[in-house]
Amino acid sequence: MSHTLHRRGTPESLKNDYVLFAMSAKGINEVDSSAKLQRFLQIVNRFGPVNLGDMRTGNRYITPSGEIIEKTRDTSIVHGVFDNRESLIKALKALKDEDLGISVIVSGLLGDVRECCQEAGVKRHTCETSLGIWGKTERLPEEEILRFTTMCGHGQVPFNLIKKMITDVKERKLTVREAAEEMAKPCQCGVFNPKRAEAMLEEVLCLWGIRVA
Amino acid sequence: MKVDETKCVGCGRCVSYCTMGAIGFTKDLYGRVCADVNQDECVDCGVCYRAEICTGKALYEPLPVWPRSVRGTFSNPLIEHKETRVPGRGTEEMKTNDVTGRFKYGEAGMAIEMGRPSTGAFFRDIEKVAMAIASLGEIHFEPKNPITTLMVDRNSGRMNPELMNEKVLSAIIEMTVPLERVQEIIGVVKRVTKEISTVCSFDLTCKVHPGDKTPAFDLARGAGVAPTSNGKTNVGLGKPFFVEEAMR
Repeated sequence: MSHTLHRRGTPESLKNDYVLFAMSAKGINEVDSSAKLQRFLQIVNRFGPVNLGDMRTGNRYITPSGEIIEKTRDTSIVHGVFDNRESLIKALKALKDEDLGISVIVSGLLGDVRECCQEAGVKRHTCETSLGIWGKTERLPEEEILRFTTMCGHGQVPFNLIKKMITDVKERKLTVREAAEEMAKPCQCGVFNPKRAEAMLEEVLCLWGIRVA
Repeated sequence: MKVDETKCVGCGRCVSYCTMGAIGFTKDLYGRVCADVNQDECVDCGVCYRAEICTGKALYEPLPVWPRSVRGTFSNPLIEHKETRVPGRGTEEMKTNDVTGRFKYGEAGMAIEMGRPSTGAFFRDIEKVAMAIASLGEIHFEPKNPITTLMVDRNSGRMNPELMNEKVLSAIIEMTVPLERVQEIIGVVKRVTKEISTVCSFDLTCKVHPGDKTPAFDLARGAGVAPTSNGKTNVGLGKPFFVEEAMR
């Protein structure tokens, strides 16, 4: 369940895209972990995440942050998304000081995250990388659409929704921000980065044409 | 997902919320246009339903019946697998490795995420890849992974035949192998993925070895496959419930 792996994009567009999340291990340190997971979310929330979520309860764009934090359970997987490394480092430092004892994971550029870990005084334990997309790749949507949809590793952000949002912005039915937030809604876990989506929308708007009636 | 034709007003708002692009239009008995979900392609992810965009509240999820029920359990992250008690398609994999010690020095975690991204996968393709990997011999598929539990023979990778025409948003074939076998697995995946009708994303996990090294990633490069510059890092804040072994 590598729901934060395989985010597509150039290193430049993946910069400033950090998912920080936590979970307990089933049957090992799971019992009574809900309070720790709740504390994790409280800490993350202090540093201005651009998204927050728990798969069960939803993300910040469909559920109030307070409710997400309040409803954590032992089986929750809790997430926060940052759009800058300073906030990530501060959150990592705070989590280290809190010593919750549950697993904490960061998704982002591996080299950059390594530096952030060093600055926060934490040590990398295990890493996971993507070896790319294989098979019938001609069936994939356009690369610029994949850069949006792959921000939800459960595949809950449809490629047709991205195309519709681009069209709606171009037709001035929605602002860039509104479109980016609409894209973030189906990603139940809250790992979709709407700020990155805004930046990518600004780029893609110049490349996509729409039919004018 | 199905559409109640008596309630659908044919507005088409649901079309953009289908992860598989499986919603089209048809005409009902009275000639009215209404949405139509291609049942072969729909993976029961529930995204269109949860989006609450249906003007006539016409979308509904019928009670899941085997074998179609696997579509929802693999495609809707809100449904928890009874085998793993993890919602979604996979396991905790490297996320809790600092606590569980699942991946050790000298090992690599490898996973093939069938149907990811954006295309979905039929079990016939999932089986094809699993069997190709199993044919290498001595492959131990992750027992807690829901795909492994659906195999009728874990030595050959053969899946339950009742599932062959079922489609899921994605499903993960997952294993732990000694580092010496990383390139062999990459080779077989390279070969078999030329024969499938969908895509897959390939994951590689490695415990950080002394000297801040990730030897599995170097082995992938040696096999001609460049790991992406982004990925996941377990930052080791979990309290270990295992004895951390010394590097062999």
